[in-house]
Amino acid sequence: MAQKLYIFGIGGTGSRVIKALTMLFAAGCRLENGFDTVVPVIIDPDTGNGDLSRTKDILRLYQQVRNQVDHPDDFFGQEVKTIHELADHSAGINPDFFQFRLNGVDGNSFRKYIGFEELGDNPEAGEDDRNFIRLLWSEANLDADISVGFKGNPHMGSVVLNQFTSSDDFIRFGQTFSPGDAIFIINSIFGGTGAAGFPLLLKNLRGNSEIPHRVHVKDAPIGGITYLPYFALNRQDEINSESFEEKAKIALDYYNRTIIGQNRINALYLIGNRGNTNVIPYAVGGKEQKNNAHFLELAGALAVLDFCKNRDLHGVSGGKAVNGTRVKEYGIENETETITFGDLNLDDVKKLSGPLTKYRLFTGYLEKGLPRALGVSRWTRSNIRLVPLSNNSVLDRSYFSSVEYNLQVKAFNALFDEWIREMGENKPSFIPFREMTADTALNLVRNSAPKGNLSFRALDVWNCRLIARDDLRAPVGMKHSTLIRLFGLSTEKVLTKKELIIR
Amino acid sequence: MNELFAAMYESLFGVYNANYLEIFTTLFDFGGYLRLGFLFIGLPLLFWLLFYYLWKYPYGRFLHWLVWLLASAVTVLVATWLVADHAIFDSGNQALADALGDAESGYKAYAEELPMRYALINAGLSLAVGFMASLVMKQFSRIQMHLPF
Repeated sequence: MAQKLYIFGIGGTGSRVIKALTMLFAAGCRLENGFDTVVPVIIDPDTGNGDLSRTKDILRLYQQVRNQVDHPDDFFGQEVKTIHELADHSAGINPDFFQFRLNGVDGNSFRKYIGFEELGDNPEAGEDDRNFIRLLWSEANLDADISVGFKGNPHMGSVVLNQFTSSDDFIRFGQTFSPGDAIFIINSIFGGTGAAGFPLLLKNLRGNSEIPHRVHVKDAPIGGITYLPYFALNRQDEINSESFEEKAKIALDYYNRTIIGQNRINALYLIGNRGNTNVIPYAVGGKEQKNNAHFLELAGALAVLDFCKNRDLHGVSGGKAVNGTRVKEYGIENETETITFGDLNLDDVKKLSGPLTKYRLFTGYLEKGLPRALGVSRWTRSNIRLVPLSNNSVLDRSYFSSVEYNLQVKAFNALFDEWIREMGENKPSFIPFREMTADTALNLVRNSAPKGNLSFRALDVWNCRLIARDDLRAPVGMKHSTLIRLFGLSTEKVLTKKELIIR
Repeated sequence: MNELFAAMYESLFGVYNANYLEIFTTLFDFGGYLRLGFLFIGLPLLFWLLFYYLWKYPYGRFLHWLVWLLASAVTVLVATWLVADHAIFDSGNQALADALGDAESGYKAYAEELPMRYALINAGLSLAVGFMASLVMKQFSRIQMHLPF
């Protein structure tokens, strides 16, 4: 039976993990146990957040490419939809639908949001109320612009985010929820938005009586990943990264009592990098908050795969995990500042090595290998004479100069390469690939030394061999079908022959 | 086949002279025409088999095809010259050997021209055979299907 996985990404970390997961889906990773549709939901009041915008862009491009591939079963294999698409049965792509809208946060101060000035029935009582409020929130808190998030203050976030359960988006979520569906929540524990949003969201999922299909939602398997500190800021101001660890400890203690101790969640993945040396530029939010991709976000995406793989262990009754909460921590085999495939746990390598290497070869080929083959290699020729029409390729010059190719496939691939590059520049760096050149393309995996011709030639040979296959022929309207499916097959053949995929 | 090839060389291309009958009788009786015929058919077929089915080069252009065609023609030319020369001068036919040894008969001077004539004819035929073979073979080639066009 078709099942959906709703992934709630809260705050900037949530966006970045969803980005990493989308990249894995593009590379051919799939959820197991019949989860055929992923529904990402980003909860972030900071609409202009750079991480959020980039993730929405990636999701939009992913959908645009995937929607033009006939029965994708390798690259772009996992279906990704918005709640709007599910609710309205529409195929229109709108990246804004990946985000839950929060009312009343645009350009508002926290003071205005809670109606600070309007408190009390009379001036005297009002002042008492305001003084009480001042006990809970500082003047700086009250004056803070909440349209850029909560600047590391979960006690503000918990007030503002509490409203999303009454939003139209949340109602739509309930309407589309079916038996067998599951939920995964991504948050960071050391910031503001994520730390506040996770317990609130979980509480509402397990107990909100207003939500449609509440019986199904309440007893749905729920997993979550909570990020412990994994970066620091280059200056301390409104947000002070020196307090991240202390905040994390306090929040963990709270989670332990209210979430883990009460079996409210089936699986909780914890991930972080204690003693990290990863310092990023200070930004309170907005478009400046655009952190480089980090390996731990990729590891977080693996947690989503793991959660679905172990679906059978996640029974729920009366809103509680029948097997208790499984707490998992992430680790790698070798402690190093430059992580390669060989440093990962073997299960993780098996999940990542094939898809990432294949997709990296695909993006590298289109950038550096295609110019030699275009209009020359048989698989890029649509004007071959005296042969059946079916032997001509649709992947000719006009395809590669089309708007759709350039604004969708090429744009997505640029973001994929940027994602890989950023992970390599972060600390610890995840740097599984070497720089790719046309002559040494197949020497792309670090710590491996394939023999023979290492250029793109083998890939072009396989493309020529495969291009006329019936199942690669693109139906009308499926413009990227042949390209995406062809390279899914040809990269597999080439990398398997060179023993560059760890299985 | 021997008769067919003999008729082709002698009648179609006019490589025949009744004054030197022993040469053409030898070529007919000792399988010389058969060998010449197989050369202009067999060698191009072999060349284009290699080109279309064994050459794993995905960047082949028309120029590659043209060079291959000329290479096969040159190979046929050289091979034909060698085979024709052997078929005439080392035929094992004593009567022809005697005629070639008789300086006044004119056999030797005439016979020395023949290998090159056969070679040129075969080279030309190989171009035609090669072109037709490539049109057929490209249908089943997965890498060079786009050549020659």
